Amino acid sequence: MRESPRLCDAQEKEVLTVNIIACVKQVPDTEAQIKVKADGSGIEEGQIKWVMNPYDEYGVEEALKLKEKNGGEVTVVSVGPARAMETIRTALAMGADKGVHICDPVFDGADAFVVANALAAVIKTLPHDIILCGQRAIDDDAGQVGSMLAEALGLPQLTLVTKLEYTGSTVKVIRPIEGAQLSVETVLPCVVTAQKGLNEPRYASLPGIMKAKKKPVDVKDAAALGIATDAKAKVAKTIPPPARPPGKIICGDEPAQKAAELGRLLREEAKAI
Amino acid sequence: MKEHEFYVGMEGREVFWNIPLPAFEILLFALTAVAMAIFGYGVYRRWQMWKAMGKPEMRLDNMGERVKAVILEGLLQVKTWRDLYPGIMHGLIFFGFFVLIFGAAFDAGQHHVTEPLFGWTFLKGNFYLGFSFLLDLFGLFVLVGVIMALDRRFVTKPDRLGYKGKMDTTPDDVIVLLLIGAIIVTGFIVEALRIHVTNPPWEYWSFVGWLLAKTFTGVELDTARTLHLASWWVHAILALGFIAYIPYSRLLHMITTPANHFLQSHKPTGYIEPIRDFENAEAFGVGKLEEFTWKQIFDSDACTRCGRCQDGCPAYLTGKPLSPKKLVQDIKTFWLEKAPAAVKAAKAGEVPTEEEGGKALVGEVVDLHELWACTNCMYCMEHCSSSIEHVPKIIDMRRYKVLTEADFAPELQLTCRNMENNSNPWGVGAHLRGDWAKEMGVKTLAEDPNVEYLFYVGCSGSFDDRGKKISVAFAKILQEAGVSFGILGNEEGCCGDSAMRAGNEYLFQALAQANIDTMNGYGVKKIIAICPHGFNAMKKDYPNFGGNYEVYHHTEIIAKLIADGKIKLPEALKGRFVYHDSCFLGRYNKIYDAPRQILKAIRGIEVVEMERTLDKSFCCGAGGARMWMEEDIGDRINNTRTKQAMDVKADTIAVGCPFCLTMMADGIKDNQMTESMQTWDLAELVVKAMGKEEIKPPVDTCAV
Ligand SMILES: Cc1cc2nc3c(=O)[nH]c(=O)nc-3n(C[C@H](O)[C@H](O)[C@H](O)COP(=O)(O)OP(=O)(O)OC[C@H]3O[C@@H](n4cnc5c(N)ncnc54)[C@H](O)[C@@H]3O)c2cc1C
Ligand code: SF4
Ligand code: SF4
Repeated sequence: MRESPRLCDAQEKEVLTVNIIACVKQVPDTEAQIKVKADGSGIEEGQIKWVMNPYDEYGVEEALKLKEKNGGEVTVVSVGPARAMETIRTALAMGADKGVHICDPVFDGADAFVVANALAAVIKTLPHDIILCGQRAIDDDAGQVGSMLAEALGLPQLTLVTKLEYTGSTVKVIRPIEGAQLSVETVLPCVVTAQKGLNEPRYASLPGIMKAKKKPVDVKDAAALGIATDAKAKVAKTIPPPARPPGKIICGDEPAQKAAELGRLLREEAKAI
Repeated sequence: MKEHEFYVGMEGREVFWNIPLPAFEILLFALTAVAMAIFGYGVYRRWQMWKAMGKPEMRLDNMGERVKAVILEGLLQVKTWRDLYPGIMHGLIFFGFFVLIFGAAFDAGQHHVTEPLFGWTFLKGNFYLGFSFLLDLFGLFVLVGVIMALDRRFVTKPDRLGYKGKMDTTPDDVIVLLLIGAIIVTGFIVEALRIHVTNPPWEYWSFVGWLLAKTFTGVELDTARTLHLASWWVHAILALGFIAYIPYSRLLHMITTPANHFLQSHKPTGYIEPIRDFENAEAFGVGKLEEFTWKQIFDSDACTRCGRCQDGCPAYLTGKPLSPKKLVQDIKTFWLEKAPAAVKAAKAGEVPTEEEGGKALVGEVVDLHELWACTNCMYCMEHCSSSIEHVPKIIDMRRYKVLTEADFAPELQLTCRNMENNSNPWGVGAHLRGDWAKEMGVKTLAEDPNVEYLFYVGCSGSFDDRGKKISVAFAKILQEAGVSFGILGNEEGCCGDSAMRAGNEYLFQALAQANIDTMNGYGVKKIIAICPHGFNAMKKDYPNFGGNYEVYHHTEIIAKLIADGKIKLPEALKGRFVYHDSCFLGRYNKIYDAPRQILKAIRGIEVVEMERTLDKSFCCGAGGARMWMEEDIGDRINNTRTKQAMDVKADTIAVGCPFCLTMMADGIKDNQMTESMQTWDLAELVVKAMGKEEIKPPVDTCAV
């Protein structure tokens, strides 16, 4: 049963309003320089520019499109430290209506399971027809939270979605699979994870940015959720990738000579040919 | 029979000869009053329209400069002279009319004031002869000017008097020219008939009338008198009609253009007024006509459709829909449509109601392709003979699209995000900014803040492979010359010029503030920039946010180092060089000499100029955030500019701007000239001429 307080309204007026939850994670910018802490316990956060996970931008954009077309409300939910508030505000600036920030030091070492349960605990208390996640977060590339969240809520899940159509009682999606496309339909509520190609995330307007500062964001700690916060998986050690050996530049004016030298190096040094 | 006897010393004429007084005089006064009333009403109505729309703006600072502008640009017409033919054409009409009006005032002054009141006549003797000669001469000037103008409208038809090959001549344009011509012709006829009848021997001084009088040889004197009276009235009525017609025709520019010269901005060239309050504004930029200031709207009423702006607009000349003239005229037409309702509302003390289904300023009156085609090259503003300010209007409308609506090109959105996240338009990791200098022994201010100059490298110089070579070259020059300098390294940020000119003022201010905070933190006083965009922004826009520095462009510094003998250029280079003026150096900052002095100092090369050069230089296409946008209408601006260098058979295009460098390099490629043409920044050329070994490209340009 849908919990939407607007449902009666909608039925009376025959308007299909839709309550959407967009889960957003704050991640380091793709171009940021990642330095692993000397003790391997994680990464140094000092210089990092934090942004909204790019796949979550697709989720937020899709949520806003659904709202603009059908009416309804978009709530963004994020689990993260204090700085994650910026990401919530970014989503609010794009046009989301309100936010929930699950912020507690106990989530510091949280794995996908804990995060999914935290999100589920909050989402249970909110009217929700469609829950949008990114297909994966570009920081740890786990791609699990969306699916675990669906499990925790006991809802159907549509993953890696590149097209979404809301019919009022169902959601039809397209998800690309190897060499083909799959068209899937499910009833509401459901969890959808967004893949690149779903849409082009909008640029926040300045009035949007200004309004976002005044939109309500509910900050909750772990106690308020009443969930177990013990991670099932723990990061044992973070290890930087091995340093790339320096590149070689083949100098000279004669293209033929340079090509010959390239061939020799590929054969003898790189043993690639 | 001779009408009069004449003798020497009697030179002069009866001012109202052959005009039956006082009855006709009274009639003339009455008609003058009617003409003045029509004129006055027209001006009053216009005044109300000017007042009715637009936000307040004060333009009364720098009074001395304002008066000077009216004298130079209004009275002496300095801007019109920059184009010879139209300058002469307008000059002949303008100065001709000016002198004739003085002539008429002298006539009237003697007849109505000095003679009746003091019994003093001054239109006599040698003064009269000179006066007669001058009046005829300037009358002839006007006529020649009118013929030149008609020739332009109907025979030569230069493109700038139209839009995309279609002339925009209106009936009013023709009426005005014919009216002026007819006033002069009837004036000469009146004079000729008087001379024919009175035939004073000295009247060959009135040489046009005197020659024309010969054509009346044989005409009965009485007939001539009647003809004279008739043509006198025609002349008088045309002249009065002219006055009455002023506010209802293009002649209004006689008022609005000098007024606009008076009201022009005295801020530095290209200065854009920042948005000062983000927190409390509902909308940003200009989305509706009335969101312009009254002066921005008034501008459009001063436009004479002369087309000077269009003549060098890189967007227009490469086939984009933008023409600065059309933009201004479209705004004017829209204003003329909307103003009457606004006047009515103002009279009733109401706020004018938004009519439903009315045209949108941005998107309809000004097409989005027009709005986004502008490179902010400043050609239009530099050459507008009415001191119209196009670029700030364009930026205001862009601000509306970007800030209020967040509706703009996806590639520009990406650029903005990149600037937000990594403080550079490419989105390369911000931590890589200082990498180009790693092997050069250049210190950052964090390492040593006690240096004379901050070398502000900018995004191209830090992240673009080609741009990094300029940074390396310039740093090398400074090191050779022993100049004390440092860089900010990874603490440097994007200057924000592209963001500002794209209309993203919010982002610009964030970027500017970050740089200012860093620079002020180190107590920076003098800055050298290799990119004219950063140079210009720091010089003109940063002071708005607490950043006050002495800002130099690297060509200024290099030229000085050469002049002072601090660097020597022993090595001869080869080739035919042309210097391409960057808009942000040239028109924006009047730096035309330093780059040319540098070229002059290099041995062995031949230096030529392109046809469009100095203040008439043609933009490379990268300004106004165009660097980051697709160019899919018409020809590519950079290719067109490269062709102009090819036209003068140059094999090297020297530039002083990393954006220009990219654009010229691409232009050379697109024109398939890579075998025979090159483009270099002046700093790179100087390093070669210094005989310093070929600059090694920074290592990370060569990815494996
Ligand atoms: C189809 C598929 C193929 C795979 N292929 C491979 C493979 O080839 N090799 C391999 O090693 N692994 C593979 N995996 C496993 C996969 O990489 C990981 O399971 C997965 O990427 C988990 O990533 P993540 O934790 O970064 O994503 P998640 O963290 O699960 O993020 C997904 C989304 O959940 C939401 N979310 C996450 N954290 C938060 C938060 N704190 N607050 C609010 N919302 C949040 C966001 O919307 C986010 O976009 C695959 C998984 C799938 C589904
Ligand atoms: S600034 Fe340059 S590109 Fe823009 S309208 Fe004026 S002339 Fe054209
Ligand atoms: S804007 Fe200026 S230069 Fe352009 S047509 Fe009008 S008056 Fe002439």
